[in-house]
Amino acid sequence: MSSDQSLRINDLCKSYGGAPVLDRFSLRVAPGEFVALLGPSGAGKTTLLRCVAGLIAPDSGEIMLGRQPMHLLTGAALRRARHDIGFVFQQFNLVRRRTALGNVLTGRLSDVALWRIVLGRFPDADRRAAFSALERVGLLDQAWQRADSLSGGQQQRVAIARALVQRSRLMLADEPVASLDPAAAESVLSLLREVAREHEMSVLCSLHQPALAERYADRICAIAAARGPLTIA
Amino acid sequence: MSPWRGVRFGLILLAVAAFYAFCIAFAEIDLSRLWRGLPRLGAWAARAWPPDFSDFPALLTRAAETIAMATLGATVGALIAAPLCLLAARNTAPVSFLQLPARWLLDALRGIDSFVFALLFVAAVGLGPFAGVLGIALHSAGSIAKLWSESIESVERGPIEAAMMSGAGRLRIIVHALLPDVLPSLSSSMLYIWEFNLRASTVLGLVGAGGIGQELKSSIDLLDFPRVLAILLIIMAMVTAVDQLSALIRRRIA
Repeated sequence: MSSDQSLRINDLCKSYGGAPVLDRFSLRVAPGEFVALLGPSGAGKTTLLRCVAGLIAPDSGEIMLGRQPMHLLTGAALRRARHDIGFVFQQFNLVRRRTALGNVLTGRLSDVALWRIVLGRFPDADRRAAFSALERVGLLDQAWQRADSLSGGQQQRVAIARALVQRSRLMLADEPVASLDPAAAESVLSLLREVAREHEMSVLCSLHQPALAERYADRICAIAAARGPLTIA
Repeated sequence: MSPWRGVRFGLILLAVAAFYAFCIAFAEIDLSRLWRGLPRLGAWAARAWPPDFSDFPALLTRAAETIAMATLGATVGALIAAPLCLLAARNTAPVSFLQLPARWLLDALRGIDSFVFALLFVAAVGLGPFAGVLGIALHSAGSIAKLWSESIESVERGPIEAAMMSGAGRLRIIVHALLPDVLPSLSSSMLYIWEFNLRASTVLGLVGAGGIGQELKSSIDLLDFPRVLAILLIIMAMVTAVDQLSALIRRRIA
């Protein structure tokens, strides 16, 4: 991949009710690079990741994903751009009453005809992709299990598989292991790093444990609380 | 307790008492009239026993008509409610300026009773259960849309955001990521409205909109009390059976 696919964040600002959360934040993530965002809670890690995903709009600054100006996109253009971004959440965010397979297929939602989604009849190619993603994260035997019957570590693996079938170029992960026990945390992070390397996917992953960041990331970006009346420790 | 709290409590008590006095005056409560009417009620009750089931097949047909009206009314109501609740719920409304009008519409539908709608439809499409179905459908649409939009608003945002990251549009996300988690509560609301419709539609016969209420009205008009009692027993059995069935299904899908 060319350097054209990198993520570049320049002078990003975002404040809530006058309190700055991000103050002229800049960062560059090269293709295939695993960057850990390290900082205390309240430092703006979630805000930053959600800005990049286009889930919230920054006040100023720019976010370039390849040639796409994420901070300028709205509507259908934003939806198309999101297709290139996988997001792994702290709380996994699986649809509880769907199977692991159904949740992985969420990653293919944009290209499937509406009637197929209503009837749950995804095209064979998508189902094959979903099965192989589940196999990659080691959960093929759990494909038909309902999401809410899986353990936390398994749910996060399903979430990674969901981002994999989307064939995104950038993976954003917001405290992906904060809700997991230490062993599950290690295995989820090493899986994240492996799949990122296999697919030359960039990863921007927020963490609050320096030891984990050092072990799994190519580079660590420390993020401190923006200047301002921050009262929460 | 400070003296001020005592005074405040006394004032509240006074206000509640005044409100009740107002209600009793306006409702023309007159216990002596009830007292004078009691012997008449007693005589009717005595004449009603034993219930007259001689017309049983005809009454059963009318009961079936009532069940059909309640069921079709709830179903058509749900079909109308489906788009309405998506427009009215905060988290699915495609355009915010349609959200308030959608809420007004469903509040209006909910505020007007099936009975009133049935009255209008009897005038428009003629006597019979079809008018009843239309009346129930409109009122149910408002109630179902209200309950459904509340269920949809209480859903977790997380899975929806995850589905948004796939780049899919609103409708695909709603079907794939929202519907599965709210389906049990949506079905439960619809069953509840079905039960409610059955109780409500027993009286629709009074305005000529079909069902067992029609038999009830003609029997009361003829002062045929054994038949009235038979009809009331059939209504009770029917309502109890449907309540039990609906409760059973709701427990299973919860």
